[in-house]
Amino acid sequence: MVELVPSLLRQELGRLAAVDERLDGRGRWEGRGVTLETNCLYNAEGSAKVTIGGTIVYAGVKFEIRAPWPDRPTQGSLMCGAELRPVAHVKYEPGPPSPESIELGRVVDRGIRESGCIDMDDLCIVPGEKVWGIMIDIHVLSDQGNIFDACGLAAIAALRTAIVPAQRFDVGEDYTLKVNGTPIMASFTRVGGRFIYDPSEQEELGGDERIHITLGDEGHVHSLQKGLKGVFTPAEFAEIFEVAQQRCAELRNLVAEQEGN
Amino acid sequence: MGGYGDVQLLREDGKRLDGRALDEMRPVSIEVGVLPAAQGSAMVTHGLNVAVAAVYGPMEAHPRKIQRQDRAVIDVRYNMAPFSTSDRIRPGFNRRSQEISKVTAEALESVVLVELYPRSKIRVEIEILAAEAGTRCAGITAATAALADAGIPMRDLMIGVASGKIENIVVLDLDKAEDNYGQADLPAGILPNTGEIAFLQMDGDLSPDEFNLAMEYNFKAAREIHDIMVNALKQKQQRGEA
Repeated sequence: MVELVPSLLRQELGRLAAVDERLDGRGRWEGRGVTLETNCLYNAEGSAKVTIGGTIVYAGVKFEIRAPWPDRPTQGSLMCGAELRPVAHVKYEPGPPSPESIELGRVVDRGIRESGCIDMDDLCIVPGEKVWGIMIDIHVLSDQGNIFDACGLAAIAALRTAIVPAQRFDVGEDYTLKVNGTPIMASFTRVGGRFIYDPSEQEELGGDERIHITLGDEGHVHSLQKGLKGVFTPAEFAEIFEVAQQRCAELRNLVAEQEGN
Repeated sequence: MGGYGDVQLLREDGKRLDGRALDEMRPVSIEVGVLPAAQGSAMVTHGLNVAVAAVYGPMEAHPRKIQRQDRAVIDVRYNMAPFSTSDRIRPGFNRRSQEISKVTAEALESVVLVELYPRSKIRVEIEILAAEAGTRCAGITAATAALADAGIPMRDLMIGVASGKIENIVVLDLDKAEDNYGQADLPAGILPNTGEIAFLQMDGDLSPDEFNLAMEYNFKAAREIHDIMVNALKQKQQRGEA
């Protein structure tokens, strides 16, 4: 894999930005093709595979029974984690979870948790004794840019297909997990001085700060994250916030279509 | 092996619980070039197992102390995704995955023409997405296909396959129940063209005759999977030319 020297790449991205073009010919707010496949992992209680261009991400949902926290005796829990394993790119090294993978998992986690799509009281089995713990594990297999959006989409799509394995744990019949909403993430990176939607690998390499926005069904914002070095203005944010509304609505339709089939 | 002899694993008609004959393997499919970020990649489904492998390199070997002056080193990581089994696995390495990674790397070093790439490193990443007995074998098959997809020269295509013993009878390719309640498991990395074995493990109880039969089954299955792999590699070539 021959990569352009980043300073040359930055120059080229700056030149393209001046004439409002992108390396791969996309428009500024145009995303790459997205595919979504659900129920694709045999041993997961809910699963999804998402591809965005050459980026490939799997998410799997598992359940466990645990004791509730003493101050919330009727509430279950939700945990979402991401692994950036060395399979996904030559740049990822083996070892304990990197700050990057922890950030990724936590941003996706916040978007799902804060949207309120899971009612933690629904996860109660015996008050004060037994509640369900939901674990969403995200596995990035190929990183060609914008893994955040791919992980966010895979996580919520997997969660929305999850079957609670009550039978296996001897606490009743299996049932479909109740999920009230479809929070969706949209990510923007500053490339050549202006923000673009859905950064490619090259745009991330030669770009600056990134902003991740997770929106709920009503267009309310549920999680935000600004990452990497750089500053932006409220006017710039207002612009990408509007684009995020459109892109998130489109992806939410994709999830609904997939579920309709 | 679980070794609980009281669980019935063979039907009245002599077939196995999933309807397979004694010397019949589960369906295998192979697709190469599945991960755009990798130099070479493959996805292997073997029964309900799903293994994905990515190859990066040959690249400079770091740190320098791992370098070999006369050959490449192969760095293998076998990892099971947290959602790959019925009970979630805590992410990260464990003793089992460390051991499988080590012996798989040594097997691959005896198949890849490592002397062509002195002082370099070839990274092989094996990820198990769904596990249902036989993941190390599916992982070996996926690693081989990914290396071939990356264009790395090898003496042969190593195929991972296992036979075992249930109810005192040797059978090819144990499934989950057979693995849990059977009496022996013999996973091997077979080189079908040279007739050699590069990977071998075993646990349980086999007589010399049973071992020979199990190995005979392994070679038979390896030849079948070899043909599936060659087809997958050819198909990708044809896609590239079209």
